[in-house]
Amino acid sequence: MFGYVEPDKPELKIRDFELFRGYYCGVCKSMGKRYGQVSRLSLNYDLAFLAVLLDSISGEMPDGKIERCIVHPIRKRCVIRHNRFIDYAADMNIVLTYYNLRDKWTDEKNLLGAFGSAAFSGAFKKAAKRYGEKTERIKSLLGELDRLEKEKCPSLDEAAEPFANIMREVFQCPYVESEDRRKVLGWLGYNIGKWIYILDAWDDLEKDIKSRSYNPIVTQFQYDGGDLDEFRAKIKERLDFSLTYSLSECEKAYALLGAVKNTGILDNIIYSGFIVKTDKVLQGRCKKHEKESV
Amino acid sequence: MRKNPYKVLGVKEGASYDEIKRSYRELVKKYHPDRYRNNPLADLADEKMREINEAYEYLMKNAGGAYQYQSESYGHESSNASRGGSYRAQHQSQQSGHYQARQEYADESELERQVRAHINSGNLNEAQRILDRMRVRNANWYYLQGLVFLRRGWYDRGYTNIQRAVNMDPTNYEYRNALNSLNNQYYGYRQNPYHHGMYRRDNDMCQICGALWFADCCCECMGGDLIRCC
Repeated sequence: MFGYVEPDKPELKIRDFELFRGYYCGVCKSMGKRYGQVSRLSLNYDLAFLAVLLDSISGEMPDGKIERCIVHPIRKRCVIRHNRFIDYAADMNIVLTYYNLRDKWTDEKNLLGAFGSAAFSGAFKKAAKRYGEKTERIKSLLGELDRLEKEKCPSLDEAAEPFANIMREVFQCPYVESEDRRKVLGWLGYNIGKWIYILDAWDDLEKDIKSRSYNPIVTQFQYDGGDLDEFRAKIKERLDFSLTYSLSECEKAYALLGAVKNTGILDNIIYSGFIVKTDKVLQGRCKKHEKESV
Repeated sequence: MRKNPYKVLGVKEGASYDEIKRSYRELVKKYHPDRYRNNPLADLADEKMREINEAYEYLMKNAGGAYQYQSESYGHESSNASRGGSYRAQHQSQQSGHYQARQEYADESELERQVRAHINSGNLNEAQRILDRMRVRNANWYYLQGLVFLRRGWYDRGYTNIQRAVNMDPTNYEYRNALNSLNNQYYGYRQNPYHHGMYRRDNDMCQICGALWFADCCCECMGGDLIRCC
């Protein structure tokens, strides 16, 4: 479900890219240290983005160190460390991964899901204990997501709602003191969630039609089994509107956040990375979960 | 305690009148209430706008470009005041416009008025409850339903409902205005300067330099010279 948040690399300054990678490595190491090495396999850019975003509000200088790590044993890399926002992003990654894997096991009887969720259950318990209410709310939203999918919800907006709300929960970090800012972060998260959900549904269209699984685009636009490319062309404009409008709402929220640092990388992702990714996926130029090396 | 007006406007202390003005204009564009219509963060944007206006008015009166300012005497000050207050005046006229629009719809039912009030106060569940109860599904109903959806973040349904209101009553200014605003948000984001900036333009510059260099080489081969220094 994840992995759509990405910087627009050609536009990015090397310095900002290093910083982004620093946060990514920071979240990764934070997970390794607190939840065991296996947990590190699950990280993607989305949560690194969250760490960069949350940390942008605080005025403290990021504490960077040049270190080696298992994933990149040869070259040393800059790692941002000892930061509650980075730890928070790591915790949220654990919670989301656990639910995601468990979902895979219960829905698709996917063995990776079974082993994965078993491997993550210890880490999950630890993280869940720290954010009791939040994990409960995320769990119930996931239940709702499940229910809507089982009922074959005919509306894309409605089907996207629980996932968007999950992202709202994830982005509303309790360590952010100002209530206004939490509200801004919540709206930003909601809209990113919405964007991810719709993009994912578009990306999975062919696969879901083949396997006859639920896909909100199929139900909303009543795909009748005709030519898929024709169907895609017909609905593209409408989906593009929803996707772009969600992003424009993200951008508006970001403008109100009042970031004091990391703005180079955040501007890049929010003003450019998102829309470049949207176009790539809409045009079908992006294979799913195509992982770029970090 | 008032915030540092230079920081609010994002300029250096002692910035010139023009710099302040430029930055002010950018910020007004960014936080303009039109952009935050139907957005749950509208109140925060309003507050930000107020801060920006205060800072601008303060700097126009007290610092930045004080030279030009005094030398151009009184007349300038009044024109300046009107400029400083330009956004505010606009805002007020907008509000009164809003009010007029409301009076225009004096024939709208009590329930519709309630829906509007609930949307404005962000009480979407209540607005939806009333809408569900209403029997007459006229253009205004679709318009209000569209607003509720947009506010919730259900953009696809919001757009289709407002589109429907416009189709049912194409002469209505308010509906058309709402539809235009949605399209503007869409294009505004897609065509933002960052996305269309930097490397695409730099690329062109490189191409121009490359082409010149190439032309120069060709000329030199033939015994001539296009650019003398290389």
